[in-house]
Amino acid sequence: MTGGPTQPTGSTVRKTNSGAGRALVAVYGIFAIAATARAGVQLITKFEQAPLAYLLSALAGLIYIVATITLARGTRASRRLALIAIIIELVGVVVVGTLSVVEPEAFPRATVWSVYGIGYGFVPLVLPILGLAWLWYTRPVTP
Amino acid sequence: MIDALAYVVVALAGVAVIWGLVTAAANKPPGKAQLLFAAGVEVVTVVQSIIAAVKLAAGFRPVEVATTIGYLIGIVILIPIAWVWANVERNRFSGVVLAVAALGVLAMTLRLLVLWTPAA
Repeated sequence: MTGGPTQPTGSTVRKTNSGAGRALVAVYGIFAIAATARAGVQLITKFEQAPLAYLLSALAGLIYIVATITLARGTRASRRLALIAIIIELVGVVVVGTLSVVEPEAFPRATVWSVYGIGYGFVPLVLPILGLAWLWYTRPVTP
Repeated sequence: MIDALAYVVVALAGVAVIWGLVTAAANKPPGKAQLLFAAGVEVVTVVQSIIAAVKLAAGFRPVEVATTIGYLIGIVILIPIAWVWANVERNRFSGVVLAVAALGVLAMTLRLLVLWTPAA
């Protein structure tokens, strides 16, 4: 399951945690810390004000943590988890972003994904696209 | 928080961001001076968080206490983690990693300046 010694010979194996991937992991790490900390504060201090928004914040934080760790590990098994996490992330930012525009009263308090991540310079919208592109770019070549 | 010190952090972090991007563009890993500079930014950031913590302990109450404390703690861990991550594999992307962390410090300091208003 873990990459280990079964690397295909004679081909360049690109790992998700190497090269530009290190910068990507850094950005994911920042968002993991930011989203998780934000959600933690919101859940502890004012959960009753906007339970849905705050639970979504917590989910976003969790997704970013999983994506950060799996991309940083860069094994074959972690790639699959990273793919799942990043797809959820993309769906999340698009759905929450759209809902927060169309139906603002459903999201009375901001989350990282509100209005496609406007509070974070739209990085939350770009990040999953970069993540998927990076997973594609580093995809293992069939031996 | 001291406004002047916060702006110093913003300026230093801004230099660190640009420096990281410049070495990345030049396809070079961060040099010794650059790494020391990042460490310097970290030191000033830590001093800022300590001063803010002292002011909180002395009775200052910002509007969002929990968020403020979260930022004051979170802001000091970015550069150390990025430092380690940037040095494991040293190439142009090490500079980008440092730039990302410094940008985080910059943004969080600006946010702290807004948060640091006394509760009515």
